[in-house]
Amino acid sequence: MVDGTSNRSIHRMAMTLLWVAIALIYLFPYTWMVLTAFRNPIDTLAMRLVFTPTFDGFRTIFVESNFQKYLVNSLLTSIPATIAVVCLAAPAAYSLAHLNRKSSVFLAAVLLARMVPGIAILIPIYLAAAKAGVLDRRLTLVVVYCAFNLPFAVWLLRGFFREIPTELREAAIIDGCSELQAFVRVILPLVTGGLVATSVFVFIGAWNEFLFALALTQSDAATAPLAVIGFRNEYGVQWGAIGAAAVMISTPVVLFAVVMQKYLVRGLTMGAVKG
Amino acid sequence: MSANPVLAAVTGRRGVALLFLLPAALVLTLIYLGPMLFALRASFTAWLLTSPGSENIFIGVENYTDVMSSPEFWSAVHVTVIYALMSICCGLTLGTIFALMLDSDFYAQSFFRSIMIIPMVITPSVIGIFWKLLYEEDSGVFNAVLTALHLPKVSWLNLDMALPSIILMDVWQTTPFFMLVILAGLQAMDRNAVEAARVDGASGVQLFRYITLPHLVPYMLIATSFRAIAAMGDFDKIWLLTGGGPGDRTTTITIFAYKIGFSAFDIGRTTAVAWIFVVVVLVASSPLLWRLFKTAMRDQ
Repeated sequence: MVDGTSNRSIHRMAMTLLWVAIALIYLFPYTWMVLTAFRNPIDTLAMRLVFTPTFDGFRTIFVESNFQKYLVNSLLTSIPATIAVVCLAAPAAYSLAHLNRKSSVFLAAVLLARMVPGIAILIPIYLAAAKAGVLDRRLTLVVVYCAFNLPFAVWLLRGFFREIPTELREAAIIDGCSELQAFVRVILPLVTGGLVATSVFVFIGAWNEFLFALALTQSDAATAPLAVIGFRNEYGVQWGAIGAAAVMISTPVVLFAVVMQKYLVRGLTMGAVKG
Repeated sequence: MSANPVLAAVTGRRGVALLFLLPAALVLTLIYLGPMLFALRASFTAWLLTSPGSENIFIGVENYTDVMSSPEFWSAVHVTVIYALMSICCGLTLGTIFALMLDSDFYAQSFFRSIMIIPMVITPSVIGIFWKLLYEEDSGVFNAVLTALHLPKVSWLNLDMALPSIILMDVWQTTPFFMLVILAGLQAMDRNAVEAARVDGASGVQLFRYITLPHLVPYMLIATSFRAIAAMGDFDKIWLLTGGGPGDRTTTITIFAYKIGFSAFDIGRTTAVAWIFVVVVLVASSPLLWRLFKTAMRDQ
């Protein structure tokens, strides 16, 4: 009979191999996408797994197609939107968690707003933006993304603020801080993890957003997810270009999510489980 | 009245509380409440973008009765419900299996957890575009794999397969979400109870059925509710994979409303659809809303 330790390590090894198999199969669509980006269309159509890598796809999107403009647009909408959301949500969440703990009306409003599907506000916002002449502007998208992510951010941050004891604020006030100073200097540094978690969610959400970008932009402010569609044109599918664009769009969020995984999981469980 | 700073801080608290809420409340009013009220007004008019002045022709509830009696609307409701239901059932099952498997002892555990979340964060529109290529009947890799396994090719995007195909794509993307939430549940579990039951001679199946599963139910319910709300509003992936077609086989409510608004420019009808949709989502999510609200107010 095998002794306990080696029995356990055999079990560990078997489980690890099983996970290798699962990851290979499950992530196949993603792997295929990355391979397509570095592969000659001929190799792609022949379904080759082994091939000589090429950067033609990237050349197409950056040299022939000005894809960088859309990446810049994506960055210049996602980052300001994320900052704006955190700046608006943090005081509101703090107020709900520590200052006016019975503000049920605002809490209910935040929850309700969070459930409203995007399409419901898309059409009036489109009409308003058209009337105001601010279609195809990055700032319009920033404002919309900011508002759209606000309910979730307030809800999420409220959970983080609640983990801070109320006594801290009271002590700071007694020490002569104003409410604003107590918030900025004492409380806010303690919820850095929450602020990061919220930013991760908002940034990924804004970067990936498609519906509002599709309706509210034409070309000047078009974001990267919109630009990919162009490579599936009437002349046929530009495999390398689509692959390269897909890699350029998804790599930032994939890396971001993997690096920030701790915060992502924290946010998910804070927002979804602790309620 | 005294000049006691503590007292002043307490009496001033309500005012400060409102002040801190104000910016967020203003943005929500401006970008949520305003547009929604505007849409409510528009939904009672015969507003067509193509005919100027029509925004002031009030026609009562005609848009609502029109929409509710159109087979296209009910088809969209049907597609949305099947899509959300099937995708959640499969995602939840697969996510639970993955979570249970991750929560065991093996090498490079955190590495596998990291890479398994990739599909969850990839841009949905990119997934829609790329899966269309994977699904291609002759040049797609899925059929190439099937052929290599000596299985018949599948017409992934034809009348019968289009809905299952968008569900499959969504399951692929959302399984990691279920996996992460359920994994968090597993990690919050009292290991002593499991150990005690094991010592008492409970089998693996019994352990799962009577200890692990009951503990996971609240996590599953919450993940399901959130995913259900998101699934009802899904647009990008489906729009880019099938455009709602063939016919209206994959036209969800969001796609239905989008088409009326942006290709027919029928503002009256599209806002009516939007409002029906809002009411449906709010009613469907009311148990979740109520639970969240109650817990939040209780632990204040």
